[in-house]
Amino acid sequence: MLSFSEISKSYSGNEVLHDVSFDIDYGEITALVGENGAGKSTLMKVLSGVIKEYTGKIIVGNEVREFNSPREAELAGISIIHQELNLIEDLTIAENIFLGREPVTKFGLLDFEKLYEDADEILRGFEFPFSSKTKVSDLNVGWQQIVEIARVFSIDSRIIIMDEPTSALTESEIRILFEKIKILKNQGKAIIFISHRLEEVFELADEIVVLSNGCFVGKFKNEQIIKSELISKMIGKKHYETQRTINDIENEILLNVDGVDVYNKKKIISGVNFKLKKGEILGLAGLLGSGKSEFLKFLYGKKSYLFTGTIELKGKKIIPKYPHCSIDENVYYISKDRKRDGILTGMNITENSTISVLQNYVKYGCLNKKMERQEVNAEAEFLNIKMNSLQQPIETLSGGNQQKVLLGRGLLTDPELLLLDEPTRGIDVGAKEEIYNILMELASEGISLIISSSEIPELLRICDRILVFSRGKQRAVFNTSETNGEEILQFAFMED
Amino acid sequence: MKLSSALHNKDWLKPVFGVTIIFILCILFSPESSKGSIIFLKFDNLTNVLRQVSEIGIISIGMTFVIIAGGIDLSVGSVLALSATLTAFGIMDWQLGFTFTIILALFSGASTGFINGAVTAFGKMQSFIATLAMMTAARGFALFISDNNSRNIGFGENAAPDSFRIFTDSFAGIPLPVFIFVAVTIAFNILLQKTRFGRYVFAIGSNENASKLAGLKVNRIRIYTFVVAGLLSALAGIIHTAQLLQGNPNDGVGFELDAIAAVVIGGTSLMGGKGSISGTFAGVLIIGLLSNILGLHGIQKDFQLMLKGVIIIAAVFIQGNSMNYEWKKLFTKRS
Repeated sequence: MLSFSEISKSYSGNEVLHDVSFDIDYGEITALVGENGAGKSTLMKVLSGVIKEYTGKIIVGNEVREFNSPREAELAGISIIHQELNLIEDLTIAENIFLGREPVTKFGLLDFEKLYEDADEILRGFEFPFSSKTKVSDLNVGWQQIVEIARVFSIDSRIIIMDEPTSALTESEIRILFEKIKILKNQGKAIIFISHRLEEVFELADEIVVLSNGCFVGKFKNEQIIKSELISKMIGKKHYETQRTINDIENEILLNVDGVDVYNKKKIISGVNFKLKKGEILGLAGLLGSGKSEFLKFLYGKKSYLFTGTIELKGKKIIPKYPHCSIDENVYYISKDRKRDGILTGMNITENSTISVLQNYVKYGCLNKKMERQEVNAEAEFLNIKMNSLQQPIETLSGGNQQKVLLGRGLLTDPELLLLDEPTRGIDVGAKEEIYNILMELASEGISLIISSSEIPELLRICDRILVFSRGKQRAVFNTSETNGEEILQFAFMED
Repeated sequence: MKLSSALHNKDWLKPVFGVTIIFILCILFSPESSKGSIIFLKFDNLTNVLRQVSEIGIISIGMTFVIIAGGIDLSVGSVLALSATLTAFGIMDWQLGFTFTIILALFSGASTGFINGAVTAFGKMQSFIATLAMMTAARGFALFISDNNSRNIGFGENAAPDSFRIFTDSFAGIPLPVFIFVAVTIAFNILLQKTRFGRYVFAIGSNENASKLAGLKVNRIRIYTFVVAGLLSALAGIIHTAQLLQGNPNDGVGFELDAIAAVVIGGTSLMGGKGSISGTFAGVLIIGLLSNILGLHGIQKDFQLMLKGVIIIAAVFIQGNSMNYEWKKLFTKRS
């Protein structure tokens, strides 16, 4: 038996796991379900030695174990298959499967014959159509996933964790995988299966463990719970009042998205229909990979995808193509990845704030830095940015204050429409509150906002309406005052 | 305490501080003339230092723009040779006259720079590769034009006009190339520090993704940085020809590395997003002063080169800039 006992874990004051305790039996498949950010992945990282600092105990058999690295966990019989693939693309399948455990001849050289024989043997079990001498880079993502799984099968692990193993697989590949998982189960191994696809969970799992907001909610036998019940367990008990009332909104329509399908080689987003009013806050809800982030990128022109349908901004048809064109139309976007897509490292707060509007400060061909500082100062005061000086490099600020600087960067462009992807990601509770208030104040000044977020409570609080995506499709639009978290989650988990 | 915090806040002060130290060392270790005066401090010697570094200096200013924007330009030496060749042939064989010869030479630099930038930006290629190709191609073009011969410059009928002598003239005892170097430094310092373009150069070097999302036309800005580098390399080529009275397609070999060395000593980060013209100016002077003092002692080129290698590493370490930062990162990862 594997037991978690009072596991807690915090990141810089934010508790992401709170006294989680439950048991897992060998010879059973346990599904781990919960919203994004419920703590599933964090818990599995604790178990597999990726995270070393936590409180509580992990008991394997009758022993308390602590793993300092994934390698140590693997030696103790615990393997994890990550969502992101961990293969070395330039090596062959066999070399990947036996990486670090290659068979050698008595002269100490690699025994390639045995390597490929053993690998082929394992692959046969997966009805794998390629030789194990194939390079991993020549496989599509689905087969690469199978290789990753085959690697774990070749290690004699007693506990196997799979984090969303089916997200990249086709239906037939999923069938093969499920068969293998059932064989492993019959061999007496403990399987922990994380998935957003509840249909799969009900098909495969013996036991279902629900986490919500970092807390253990319950462990249920498959037969004893139905889907809608499971979803309401996932949302937890907290109830959020919306702080918005429909009356706040003027009636002028700013953005009209009509029957939009977006293509990137294949269709990635479909059936998007909504009208956004001036001063309205529209929330985009959905699971990771539901298309909500992608839609914002498309609307801003971060990636110029092909699309069908029409998009009208202030009554004028637009085709999103480049960020600088969108800014000219008074649209601004702030990415969820501050470090990669947001902050200009090494540059100070002033320079970071004004980068999109430098043309306003040009005098005789040079920048008027005094004028620049004055405007940034006023903006920083409005946003309540905590800093030592405007000359401070942006990377020395806390996450919340960095986000405020980026928000300020957008506000200086005088936007009519702000597109915010996960605006409170990775920032502490206090700063979150401040940002909510700022966003609502902006709306009352007549700026329209579209906010994509994985945290449904946050959307319920600050949005007037919420649009739900799942699997790249718009599923529903709700007035916030007439819906609740459970209903939104039901639609977010909708499958075809 | 006050000094160290001042150095911490103003990055450009560090290299200036470095030059001052080297300058003082040069005075201390200078040989003395028979009359007991310090040879290093003689006016002729000091202007000579500046004259000798003016070509590399001008190239280094352009290189600074490219490196701050997160690129590198290996073609500067070859572009200098191409410009030098065009200058000599333009003024001697093609009889273009002073103005048109200079325009032609500068145009060659601007267009090679444009190609470097366009291939890097639109071809999504690393600038190391794109400019490596240009390094070869521009040299080849220079050899093609000159038929593999250097061209000497003479004055008179059917030869160079007297106005071309201006590059070897001195004003108030200071050679014209020195004035050009100083003027270029001041002008491009203003361009980098005080204009929109300069700010954009820092931004795309710091974070290209974020710059694009903030509405910057990243490709265009990147191309301009290479045009600046090409243009200044061509200017250095004109000065080179005028000083030697010869356009040689085989000159300028290895100049790119000297320029990169000067830029790096000046505290500009090869990772992009950080650096200054004043730093580069100081870097150029540091290299110039050191080879001058070694030359005054009659120390040979072989030893000078070895010492230069040591100086580059030492300067970067002392300034505690990006390289040092990389080291720190490496060590903290290990522990």
